[in-house]
Amino acid sequence: MNLKACFLEQKEGARDQLLQARMEMMVGYVLQAGVVVSGLLLAAGLLWRFIATGHLGFDFTLSGMNLYEFLVHDVHTAFSGAARPRLLISLGILVLLITPYVRVLSSMVYFAVVERNCKYTLFTGFVFAVLTYSLFLR
Amino acid sequence: MVSFWVLLLISLVAGFIGAMSGMGGGVVLIPALTLVGMDIKHAIAISIVSVIATSSGSASAYVRDHITNLKVGMFLEMFTILGALTGAAITIISSRRPLFLIFAFVLLATWLALFLQSKEEWRPLAKVDRFSRWLELRGSYYDEAQKQQIVYEGGRAYFGGPLMFGAGLIAGLLGIGAGALKVLIHDLVMGLPPKVSTTTSNLIIGVTALAGTSVYLAAGYIDPGLAAPVILGVGAGAFIGTKVLVRLTNMAVRRFFLVVLLILGVEMLIRGIRG
Repeated sequence: MNLKACFLEQKEGARDQLLQARMEMMVGYVLQAGVVVSGLLLAAGLLWRFIATGHLGFDFTLSGMNLYEFLVHDVHTAFSGAARPRLLISLGILVLLITPYVRVLSSMVYFAVVERNCKYTLFTGFVFAVLTYSLFLR
Repeated sequence: MVSFWVLLLISLVAGFIGAMSGMGGGVVLIPALTLVGMDIKHAIAISIVSVIATSSGSASAYVRDHITNLKVGMFLEMFTILGALTGAAITIISSRRPLFLIFAFVLLATWLALFLQSKEEWRPLAKVDRFSRWLELRGSYYDEAQKQQIVYEGGRAYFGGPLMFGAGLIAGLLGIGAGALKVLIHDLVMGLPPKVSTTTSNLIIGVTALAGTSVYLAAGYIDPGLAAPVILGVGAGAFIGTKVLVRLTNMAVRRFFLVVLLILGVEMLIRGIRG
């Protein structure tokens, strides 16, 4: 597609409505999967903690880690074999944070590859870039 | 230290109200958490994480009901995330009293605007400008209460976009979804029907909250042990709230948040003045 044509106004037809509906399903499933997985991890972590100690309260802070460091830390803990309730809790939060990020990424890919809508590929690309920057914030 | 069960209960109620109103859980959550003794900045940080859960959970349902307008959402997100990053950075360096006052001011201003507007039913914009048309902000959805297909087109995007920076700023600053503010911009400026406004604002809120969260996370304000019950509570509450919204009419939803907003606004104002 040429760049000029892609900035013209698009006529809405049956194809667009179908594509739109498919994208709605995709976004819906990404969000739902993220929330469900995150919820399960958090609930499992709390339950495990309760069974192991009889308490539900947790007391640990992430002393100023950005998402990337948070991720590395969790993966590292997971592979060192120390699967503890704390790890599940922090993975649950991590999955939650990544959910909207994945939603933006998948929308961007969908706009670029399936819908071939340059305007919205650029818009979602901008959002994706800013979020990426913010997740590596120091 | 706030007890686990208190946190869970507060979060459940906050999530329910948040989903019903499209405001996200934060507006109820933060005042409630500070009332049980949590520091306002930590309450803001925890709230904004839980806002991601509420928003994503309810947005996933609305999107598949074909009420949300994805393009409106994705256009406006560009502005809200920049606002949220700015807002969260301000909160981190701010002292606490102004945060209470700004919170109260935002709640009361939103209340007033919704109150003055609440008698009008939605009418489509008379004319849609070229820029908005270029952005493809058309849409339609089936309204269960009115039993008919509603066709609409969003307009004045050149004005709605920059205003959304402000909504994002408030969201990042106060750790709320700022959904009421987003809904207001959708309704009054862009001429979207109320259900499209609330559901689309829900979609935007998740990404906006993530931008804010990343700032609070890097600053060390997010305590996973406290965040976990709050996320679960708010998420469960929101799930129930979402099921209720689809069955209610626009007027009933509006009346409900008017009362909630007023009570919370006055409460935060008193605490901000007393210090």
